[in-house]
Amino acid sequence: MWDLFVSVFVNVLIWIYDVIGQNFAIAIILFTILIRIVTWPLNAQQMKGAAAMQELQNDKEWQAIQKKYAKDREKLAQEQMRIYRERKISPFSSCLPTLIQFPIIIALYQSITRSLGSTPLDLLKLSRSLFPFLNVSDLIPLNSKFLWMDLGRPESIAIFGFAFPTLALIVAITTYVQAKLTMPASPNPNDQSAAMGKMMSIYMPLLLGYFALNFASGLSIYFITSNILGIVQYAMQGKANWRSLLPGGQKK
Amino acid sequence: MRKKLLFLSMALLAVALLSGCAGGPVRGTTWPGLAADDNAAYLADGPYVYAINLQDGKELWRYPADSDNDFVFYSTPVVTLDGLVIVGSSGTNHGLIALNPTDVNQNDNNTSSPAVAWTFNEAKDQWVAAPLVVDDKVFAVNSDGYLYVLNLQDGQSTKKAVKAIRIGGRLWAKPTTDGERVFLTSLDHSVIAVDMETYEVLWNDEIGGAVAGSAVLGTDGMLYVGSFASQLEKIDPANGKREPVLEAENWIWSTPSQDGDTLYFADLNGNLYSFNTSTGKLNWPAIKPDGPITASPLTQNGHILIATESGSIFAIDRDGNVLWSEEVGGKVYTTPVASGDLILVAPLETEFYLAALDQNGRQVWTFTPGN
Repeated sequence: MWDLFVSVFVNVLIWIYDVIGQNFAIAIILFTILIRIVTWPLNAQQMKGAAAMQELQNDKEWQAIQKKYAKDREKLAQEQMRIYRERKISPFSSCLPTLIQFPIIIALYQSITRSLGSTPLDLLKLSRSLFPFLNVSDLIPLNSKFLWMDLGRPESIAIFGFAFPTLALIVAITTYVQAKLTMPASPNPNDQSAAMGKMMSIYMPLLLGYFALNFASGLSIYFITSNILGIVQYAMQGKANWRSLLPGGQKK
Repeated sequence: MRKKLLFLSMALLAVALLSGCAGGPVRGTTWPGLAADDNAAYLADGPYVYAINLQDGKELWRYPADSDNDFVFYSTPVVTLDGLVIVGSSGTNHGLIALNPTDVNQNDNNTSSPAVAWTFNEAKDQWVAAPLVVDDKVFAVNSDGYLYVLNLQDGQSTKKAVKAIRIGGRLWAKPTTDGERVFLTSLDHSVIAVDMETYEVLWNDEIGGAVAGSAVLGTDGMLYVGSFASQLEKIDPANGKREPVLEAENWIWSTPSQDGDTLYFADLNGNLYSFNTSTGKLNWPAIKPDGPITASPLTQNGHILIATESGSIFAIDRDGNVLWSEEVGGKVYTTPVASGDLILVAPLETEFYLAALDQNGRQVWTFTPGN
């Protein structure tokens, strides 16, 4: 089942690669846009969920039960669940799209390495992944070069003998910017969703930066494109919190 | 708190899954390279190159002494006339290394390792193909698209290329020679001829698909190559003029094997073909042993030995009759090698790394490295 999932990614990537004139980096960028479109309902759900949770933090009843059951965690959890049920809020809906990202990242990583076939076994696996109706055997092997990068390998630029990981840095920065922009400002110091957002804005750039540093640079192209699209999407909806990029901006 | 834990669990799972896919110096990244002389088998299999005694299947030495993240070996080793074992690394270290099996030292971990006679470090990508050694020259092709010519007699421990010739594409197959020219094949859908003296590219012929196997010089003086376009091509070595001579069912991965005026080759659908270069026709209809075939057929004592992905070895006579078959286990992608009375098979996805069979397919020994 998983292999079929990866095979679908492989064939869509190769189909785009063929249509656009055999540039694998552009194929990854277009594929990322396609994934953003497909996961649009999930993103919308995340935004809706995050807004509902944010609203809840400032709700008087919510704040009252926090105070009332501050020393009884079990009762507090029961009361919180009651409010979630009554107001039809799913506390996990805001992090679902982030979690959905992981299988997509893994499948994309596998489809990139498989499509580029950098070892004989990878190339053999690719031959099994190709859907016959696409008839793309004559495109194999794909061109893995883009600018200074080999998309099947981790990226770095040698500066004064030091391998500088340009893409990993861009991935970390764009992930941080996206996380910060989408983080709602909260005056409530006990706001759990704001605390969660703060944690994500620290860990996600580090995690994705680590991926970019160690894995195929094609994956970094995906991260950067996805982050930029996310930033643009929030900005176009007027929901981007630009002040949060400034030191102390979150508190204002 | 639950969200935090969920997030961290997913992140750790992603790191673990991606790391598992990223390769590194582990066995199974791809299939091993195998060669042998009269005394030893040489197996390039992940983090190490092993020399194995053909008498008893015991390890003679390994290189490097300790696993090193920079080295991954799976290109086929080559044994030179003066006994050096040349093998290329496919890890982040892109060295071509010549090992001296007559100068072996004991390691701390009860293994032995040979001295390095020389290294060549100018290549920029992984080594998949075995180099071609002709007299005192080494013709080595790399995935960076270059043919490197090295001098074996220059006495240098760190060799410089006598000539680096830009060919293009990924070069995964051992060069072939007719004594005057070197013929190369590229995954970039081409077959190339280079003059052995002037190193001039004489012709570069584009064909319909990637070529992962070497070209073979037939008894009719023509070159034959199989490609991912599922065709066997006949090419005039003088000018590169080509014509397709046979359509296979699927990609032709390996180098055709020559036996007189017959070429044996296989495809990924598992068909074995017997093509007569004199008549331009098949000697008998293609036969299908039991699985996809990436290994080249091995011709020995009038038999054709075929290794399949299903983990079997088939001995077939010149009329296409199966004489015997033996299940070795795992998946066999590497071309079997014959040495003396032994047939050496290097499967993947098995506990042992190498099996030696006798001429009737019975297992004589298996090799599993210690430590």
